[in-house]
Amino acid sequence: MTHKLSRTLRAVLLAGAAAFISAAAMAAEDYVPENGTIGYIVTDFEWQVYLTADNKEECAAGLNPWGPREQFKALYPNGGSVKDTHMAFEIAGWFPNAETPDKFPFYEVTGKKSYGLNLDGKVDADDFVSPDGKTAGIDNELYRVIGCIVNLRPPEGATAFYANKAVMEERWNRVLLELTNVDSMTDDDSVDVTMYRGLDNLLTDATGSKYLPGGSMRIDTKWGNKYVQHFKGKIVDGTLITEPVPYTVVPWSSFQLPTEQKFHDMRMQIKLQPDSALGIMAGYVDVENWYWQTVKSESTHHQSYGQSTPSSIYKVLRKRADAYPDPKTGRNTAISASLQAKMVQTFIIHAPGGPVAMAPASSPKPATASQQR
Amino acid sequence: MKPVFRSAQLFRTAASAACLLLGAVLASCSGAEPVAEPKGAELAAVPAGIEASSPAQRRLITEQQYLNTVANIFGKDIEVIAQFAPMQRTDGLLALGASKAGVPSGELQKFQRAARQVAAQVVDNGNLELRLASHRDALMPCKPAAADKADAACAAMFLRSTGRLLYRRPLSDARLAQMVDQAGKSAVQLGDFYAGIATVIEGMLISPEVLFIEDRTEPDPEHPGRRRLDAYSYASRLSFFLWNAAPDDRVLKAAESGELDTAKGRARVVDMMIASPRLEGGVRGFFDDMLGFDSFANLAKDPSAYPSETGATLADAREQTLRTIYDHLVTKKLDYRDLFTTRTTFMSPTLGTIYRVPAKPGWTEYQFPEGSPRVGLLTQVSFLAQHAHPARSSPTRRGKALRELLLCQPVPLPPPNVDFSALENPKAEHRTQRDRVNFHLQNPVCAGCHKITDPIGLALENFDGAGIYRRSERGVDIDASGALDGKGFTDIAGLSLAVRNHPSLPGCLVRRVYSYGTGAAVDARDKPLVDFLTAEFGRHGYRFPDLMRAIVLSPVFYDVTPPAPAEQKSAAASN
Repeated sequence: MTHKLSRTLRAVLLAGAAAFISAAAMAAEDYVPENGTIGYIVTDFEWQVYLTADNKEECAAGLNPWGPREQFKALYPNGGSVKDTHMAFEIAGWFPNAETPDKFPFYEVTGKKSYGLNLDGKVDADDFVSPDGKTAGIDNELYRVIGCIVNLRPPEGATAFYANKAVMEERWNRVLLELTNVDSMTDDDSVDVTMYRGLDNLLTDATGSKYLPGGSMRIDTKWGNKYVQHFKGKIVDGTLITEPVPYTVVPWSSFQLPTEQKFHDMRMQIKLQPDSALGIMAGYVDVENWYWQTVKSESTHHQSYGQSTPSSIYKVLRKRADAYPDPKTGRNTAISASLQAKMVQTFIIHAPGGPVAMAPASSPKPATASQQR
Repeated sequence: MKPVFRSAQLFRTAASAACLLLGAVLASCSGAEPVAEPKGAELAAVPAGIEASSPAQRRLITEQQYLNTVANIFGKDIEVIAQFAPMQRTDGLLALGASKAGVPSGELQKFQRAARQVAAQVVDNGNLELRLASHRDALMPCKPAAADKADAACAAMFLRSTGRLLYRRPLSDARLAQMVDQAGKSAVQLGDFYAGIATVIEGMLISPEVLFIEDRTEPDPEHPGRRRLDAYSYASRLSFFLWNAAPDDRVLKAAESGELDTAKGRARVVDMMIASPRLEGGVRGFFDDMLGFDSFANLAKDPSAYPSETGATLADAREQTLRTIYDHLVTKKLDYRDLFTTRTTFMSPTLGTIYRVPAKPGWTEYQFPEGSPRVGLLTQVSFLAQHAHPARSSPTRRGKALRELLLCQPVPLPPPNVDFSALENPKAEHRTQRDRVNFHLQNPVCAGCHKITDPIGLALENFDGAGIYRRSERGVDIDASGALDGKGFTDIAGLSLAVRNHPSLPGCLVRRVYSYGTGAAVDARDKPLVDFLTAEFGRHGYRFPDLMRAIVLSPVFYDVTPPAPAEQKSAAASN
């Protein structure tokens, strides 16, 4: 993300970042976790969107202007009964229709750069390149859909804010990663990674807003077994790189609504530090689930904060879905996406007889990404 | 200016000389530790030749004693938000300050607020919607004939039993009648029997007889011409010492029956009290005082330096040490000295962030592995964080605390015009605390005292101001070597062992327990008894409950020291 910053502030930030990276690199350099095990807990999730200060690079037509309020005003300039106006508008969101054309223009991302990973191993013409230009073939069609919607452009967009507020305040969405068989946090050709759902509150400093490493977290052994997922991976130059697993469910929450994110072929690339980690979980997310979780867990009031109209988003989501075709209809059911995860170190407490790392779960859909591309 | 300068210089020179002399004395203290022989048996009775008595006192009840007493009489679910004024620490103990404390009008308001909270809850009728039980149904032994009218019989029944527990002795008939009358008048005025009762409870809770623990004396039949505590005063002294709370019905009954007037009866009651779960309150109260844990009320760490050391962390640090002590000394009945080398403690999730270990919710017993730098109480966060600066460690404060709190070796205060600039604004080449302290010690005026404190404090430099372990400071490996009164060591484990084996360690504890129990500072007259108890404590394996038992059963706990002739003359004149 690029912002207009004063030259002085930019210099200070760059110097600070360099010092941080240098200190962190030093800290990680010789670090071998005790018993070859280190745990992390996710503190912040964010669907990755590449943003520039004036939006021009990624959204040539500008940001989407047709939010719920704007659409409602245009659809019903003369008002009408509640049933024919308010309820009709709400029904369009709750029972979206991808077959009919949208009455309003929808601005997709037009830029070429995006965060994310090359999920299918191919470099197609419509794939993105990484912001630094070094990686081609990046698959992140979700970004193409949401990248020009204010609500989904953090930090101003409120969707990520509320999702992370829920991480702070709730426990349903507690995501743990445990790395085992780690011989080196810098380079290790084989490590095991297990995802769990945790039970406890996050640890913060006295302000309540800064997450601290060194806390302890119990694994949910009662209701959390479906979230246990095992990945094989390696550490290269301090970055954990896992192989994809067919199907992963991530506990999620927003506005006190326990929900989930469902990934096909999820894999991770995470920069590791002894006290923290930052990286991405990328794969093909289930379109229907993503729609219901992300768009419908917000009220129209919250959607109006940033011109986020469910019925319009749904049509584009279906259009841009790029994986896992339905065997009956042939329509893709999943869309490539990249989820940024910020973590701090935590001690993961295993209960006797608790869940063990499961074998990778099988995908509920028979098709594979490569088959449909 | 010149005379002032000379005066200050003279003061500093004198202080330095005093410190050097003290250092020499301390260094000569290192001797062979007493040989522990019989373990677990009762400590021997005080021989007849040793003076064993203590002055009669009038002590202000402490906040914790008040809270414990209210909880014991009315139940633990009675919520009291009380912040009473702190006592003045005297001879190492707040408990001694209690005998000099008064209650100014502002402080009385705090007591009254607390009393009103308690009284209102005692007679409340519960709330079904809030799932709150009716306290009046649980605490009142009777129901009034009409809830909106006075009922003298029911009021008398409740006030007689409650008053006896609060006043720690039976109410006289006249006093009870006065209270019942007051309850009746209030009930009529307020149209509520229970509101009338509440006004009397509130009055009782702020009466001087409740707020001040007064030693009343009577002639000692075994020592004509001398006096002893009466049975109720002895019961209170016992109870506030062993339980940190007022005596319960059983102890008061022993006083009423005359059982506390006999050696056999006293032993039975004391054994019953030591076996009670309430002993935990007494043991925690004593060590909270001895270790100066009242300072936690104002302790805070710089969040930019130690973001993980929050108020909750510090509260848990205090609790961790108290749990460790009680578990070690009472639950497991282990050697007091081993508290300084034990690797067993208790852990909470909040503290786990400081110790960098996993911890389940709540408190769980935790064992640091062999080879861990966490060895004994000195390496617990409570000691390390309490005796440090908000944003950095302090070898001086830690060394001073070790000397004063654990070895009863007072360290003189620094001169009023001490120059801290060398320490506060060190040169860049002074990368560790040891470098800075060594630079500081080049000033002979400072060196005298700092040589007593800093070498032992520097052994704790592997822990920063929050108590978090560190191997190095500013890129330089920390040197934790040093010596304690002639015993050299190379690391924190060595210091812990040196403290554990220090000959002053048990004697200091005995002195503190003795003072805490009697409410009076140890003076020259007490020395033979303290020495005797210290020797017995050692002969019996340094078991803390045995020490408590020996002290409360010794004559010092109930025989009253006659006033000095000058005091007698003064008292006669004032009479």
